[in-house]
Amino acid sequence: MSDVSANGKGAPKITVKGLRKSFGSNEVLQGIDMEVAEGEVVCVIGPSGSGKSTLLRCLNKLEDITGGTVVVDGFDVTDPKVDINEVRRHVGMVFQHFNLFPHMSVAENIMLAPVELKKLSKAQARTRALELLDRVGLKEKADARPASLSGGQKQRVAIARSLAMSPGIMLFDEATSALDPEMVGEVLQVIKELADEGMTMVLVTHEMGFAREVADRVVFMADGVVCESGPPADLFGNPQQPRTQDFLSKVL
Amino acid sequence: MKNSYSSLRPTRWSRWIATAVLAMMAMVVGIPGAVAQPSDDSVEGKTFVIGTDTTFAPFEFRQGGELVGIDMDLLRAIADKQGFNVEIRSLGFNAALQALSSNQVDGVIAGMSITDERKEVYDFSEPYFESGVQMAIDRNNDDIQGYEDLEGKTVVAKTGSEGESYAKSIADEYGFRVTSLDQSATMYESVKAGTAVAVVDDYPVLAYGIAQGNGLKTVTEKVPGGSYGFAVNKGQNTALLAAFNDGLAELQASGEYQQIVDEYLADPTEAAPSTFWDLLTQSLPALMKGLSNTLIVTGVSFAVAMILGLAFGFLKISNNIVLRGVATSFINLFRGTPILVWAFFFYFGLAQLIGQTVNIWVAGVLTLSLNGAAYIAEIVRGGIQSVDPGQLEASRSLGLGYGRSMQKVVIPQAFKIMTPSLINQLIIMLKDSSLLLAIGFAELLYQGQQIYAANFRVTETLLIVGIIYFVAIMALTKLANFADRRFNK
Ligand SMILES: Nc1ncnc2c1ncn2[C@@H]1O[C@H](COP(=O)(O)OP(=O)(O)O)[C@@H](O)[C@H]1O
Ligand SMILES: [Mg+2]
Repeated sequence: MSDVSANGKGAPKITVKGLRKSFGSNEVLQGIDMEVAEGEVVCVIGPSGSGKSTLLRCLNKLEDITGGTVVVDGFDVTDPKVDINEVRRHVGMVFQHFNLFPHMSVAENIMLAPVELKKLSKAQARTRALELLDRVGLKEKADARPASLSGGQKQRVAIARSLAMSPGIMLFDEATSALDPEMVGEVLQVIKELADEGMTMVLVTHEMGFAREVADRVVFMADGVVCESGPPADLFGNPQQPRTQDFLSKVL
Repeated sequence: MKNSYSSLRPTRWSRWIATAVLAMMAMVVGIPGAVAQPSDDSVEGKTFVIGTDTTFAPFEFRQGGELVGIDMDLLRAIADKQGFNVEIRSLGFNAALQALSSNQVDGVIAGMSITDERKEVYDFSEPYFESGVQMAIDRNNDDIQGYEDLEGKTVVAKTGSEGESYAKSIADEYGFRVTSLDQSATMYESVKAGTAVAVVDDYPVLAYGIAQGNGLKTVTEKVPGGSYGFAVNKGQNTALLAAFNDGLAELQASGEYQQIVDEYLADPTEAAPSTFWDLLTQSLPALMKGLSNTLIVTGVSFAVAMILGLAFGFLKISNNIVLRGVATSFINLFRGTPILVWAFFFYFGLAQLIGQTVNIWVAGVLTLSLNGAAYIAEIVRGGIQSVDPGQLEASRSLGLGYGRSMQKVVIPQAFKIMTPSLINQLIIMLKDSSLLLAIGFAELLYQGQQIYAANFRVTETLLIVGIIYFVAIMALTKLANFADRRFNK
């Protein structure tokens, strides 16, 4: 049951096998197997401290991996010879606390990676930034400072920023948890549009309704293992594991 | 009276240091132009290079940037009368004698007593000044008429001087105590402040101080001491020596000699007392030069300290335990030791270690910048660590490398946090640069000391120096804050 197989939507974009991660003597991930197909949207749910963020951060090696293999977009992340910066350009990441660069304007936040990594000229990068901002409905904020934006606007800019390198995979770590309730919707809307466009995504979320709506598959994690996974209708409608049932009874 | 160690320097050790410094500089740069002249022909139209001390008022000292004093005026008047030219090199007492011995200068005039030992190496002119020691008291003190009124009182004298030995030799007889200080200027201040009732000092120095209006008066006769002479190398420059003697005799006969001496030593009742404004205008050129040196040494040191501080700050947060250890050792070493120790080390110790003189600017910049770098490294570490780690993660997750992420994302934010501490460090460094006076670096406070060593107006001079520091630091703070607002929006 910890073996999560792709649902046939396409070739695997992410393959995780026997992933282990320890912080000191604390083994936070105790052998995770997971596969995400191209264009698939996977939502990861589970109690706090179960290792959801850690799993996500292992996918682009923001955390050093203790054991197992992680293959992302064809790159073996655990291979020490792999250029991790190259891998990360294929994987966009959105953080709970946005992490916008406060000393840059909104457009500069988005232009940073394409310009620094010599993918686009400054002018091209600006055009691209405006396109992305338009997509998240914030074109008029291009020259504003992040500090002047609301939480929802910040997170939409952060999404636009992570799209700047045209990644094939997007990772969201509780992208709406730090937002006031009235702003959650605007961010979920942007994520949903991405899903509809066929972006491969892994979302850690506490928005059960959203997960049910947008996910192709839901993964329930507990204590560093994948406890149960399946299509949202099954997992939410007919959970098999007592831990899943217990968790869902508390959050639904 | 000056043998080798009784000039008017701030302190005896700093005088020694300054002399050593100048000697080293003289050795490094060489003293060009001076070749021992053949001793036969006349001096007419020739140019002689003459070495002298740096500051030994009233014989040689700087006033408004120019070398003046009894020695200087006499020498120039004699050269004038005898039709030769002089090029004066202000080297310091010992350095001047060394330069003479190595034929780098043709003669030395430096308030030098004619002694038997010196006569073995040099030929002296006729004595041009009769020195001695004398006692002075506060101008308003009418109780002390002579040594017999000193019973139970305290008398101050200069450490290691003839005045001190004389005072001690009669202390028991008259029942007074002798305390010793390092500088003439501070001795006079202590008499005026009442901590000592009288001072025993070199007669010309004392007379000059009184002429400068230091608020003292003499009550006893001068006790005769050494005679000062002009020196050339033994058997060389006989024409120059003869011309000096002829010229001196001429000046003495015409009364010009007395005029020159009186100009420096006459009682102030004849001379109009100079005002604070006079002091200011006279001392300002030298003080501005000092301020300029202070600003330059501080600016250069701060730039070097920034580079080193950034480097060590980064090492301090590195994951490598060895690099971290290196940074920690550096920081602890320079934070845990006084700046003065390093100033002496880089100027004197290092020179001995490498067997080569160290330029005083190099020593000064090393001292200030390494000390500053230790503090800046800690500021850098703190600044970087106070940037939210999420910033680095966000940048790295975009595919930017560590270095690029630091450069574009973390450091700009860290700098904003660090700026007030860095401005603070810059100001501390500016104030610390005054410690370099100990190795004879001609910064602002050093120039102030040179000035009051010559005019004895300690309080007013220090007041001016203090105001200049204050204004400079206020201006610097304003400038730094402006730059901060401008670049760290
Ligand atoms: N950098 C870290 N150092 C030590 N322990 C960590 C670190 N990051 C996470 N942990 C621990 O790992 C466990 C899982 O954390 P996390 O992946 O953030 O859980 P979740 O996102 O599911 O709430 C928690 O016990 C947490 O304390
Ligand atoms: Mg989490």
